[in-house]
Amino acid sequence: MPITGTAAAILAAMVFVPGAPMSAADHLDPPGRTDIAVDPTPDLPADLADIFAWSVGDTVRVVVTFGGPSSPTLPAFYDRDVLYKILISTAAPTDRPDVIITARFGRGQNPNEWGVRFEGIPGVNGAIEGPVETTLVKDGVKARAGLFDDPFFFDSRGLRETRAMGTIRIMNTRDFFAAQNDTAIVLEIPKDRFASATTPLGFWTTTSRFGGQL
Amino acid sequence: MSALLRSLVISAPLLLAACSGGSSPTATATPTPTPTPSATFGPPPTFAYNVEPCFTQVIPDTGGQTLRNLLVPDTLKLDLSRPSLYPNGRKLEDQVIDITLTWLFLDLSVTGQSTRTFANLPLNPPGNDRPFNASFPFLAPPQGTPPLAATTGTSFDFRTDPDSAFVQVDRFAMPGVSTVLIGAPLKNPYNDGSPSVDVTGQYRAEQTAQMVSLMNSIGDDLTMIGLKICATRS
Repeated sequence: MPITGTAAAILAAMVFVPGAPMSAADHLDPPGRTDIAVDPTPDLPADLADIFAWSVGDTVRVVVTFGGPSSPTLPAFYDRDVLYKILISTAAPTDRPDVIITARFGRGQNPNEWGVRFEGIPGVNGAIEGPVETTLVKDGVKARAGLFDDPFFFDSRGLRETRAMGTIRIMNTRDFFAAQNDTAIVLEIPKDRFASATTPLGFWTTTSRFGGQL
Repeated sequence: MSALLRSLVISAPLLLAACSGGSSPTATATPTPTPTPSATFGPPPTFAYNVEPCFTQVIPDTGGQTLRNLLVPDTLKLDLSRPSLYPNGRKLEDQVIDITLTWLFLDLSVTGQSTRTFANLPLNPPGNDRPFNASFPFLAPPQGTPPLAATTGTSFDFRTDPDSAFVQVDRFAMPGVSTVLIGAPLKNPYNDGSPSVDVTGQYRAEQTAQMVSLMNSIGDDLTMIGLKICATRS
């Protein structure tokens, strides 16, 4: 069914509907824990933004972003007290994890040194550990943590302008997440590490804070 | 101001809470031990939408999965025997919002309507503002000139405490589930939960209520421009 320019404009207005799925990413959610407008002590390092998982060739790639969208003047969010998990179901029941990959950060011995430790990666003997902003390689797996451009794209500025001006301002040429950053962990795992899977892989991610929420 | 625009403007603050870091004036962070459908929004409907057909319609190119199968349990499914393209996994460049919109609103059995109906416009920016890397680590480099951590060090002070010493803060998988189909009063318990909780049906009523609210807001508008929505009216 062709959609005319007028129809497209009306469709574009959908972004002003409460709860519409253009808020699809998880930035600042749940707001009661991660949004300073609701929570006076937002837990930004533990605020998940997105999870991506896809397969190319002989690899499975997983990206988890958090602590964003943040200003391009800010450093990454590395917090020793936050535990990141990538949980993967590979068999029924698909609501239970068969693989649990963890990531955590720790300070180095010199100023501005941070390290990351990955554990639980299939086929990796022990942990993958090393400085952030560095590609770490072990047992056929690549792993990295660092600061990156926020990969999510969506115009939510139009929402704020509409609220203020009372007129539709949405544009598909405007991206609220443009020019902002996330902290991220990235993994590339050989596909054959999941050869025993009997169902499609099911990914989810969690954050937890040592000693309780802020 | 048109009725459509008026309703959209009135409802904008609540969407801000779910999307861009704004806050809902009605948001509460109080967990509810026994979740019930949260309050909805928008103008009072003059009829009732049945959104069950939206949840039960088969999403094309998913191997026969219904929307509810995709949403519950809240996991990002990746069938390694098929090419990766959302919702079979999620690549960095996938237009997940515009695609998800079609699942929520459109009757995908109608000729001419597809999961690409909105993405083909596109409604939202069609891609990231910076090109992704073809090679590891795939993400684009950070914007600006932020201070970066050193790439040195061989000894780091990691916590070694057991998982039980940590309290869950956030969880995420499928775009749009927690942020769109779970209302503010239930967000904390939802994020405390897990896919195992999802499959008990604990949030089914909430997701239905939120979907009805979405339809109340724009179902008529979509119909007006000639699209066939997945919900029925009674």
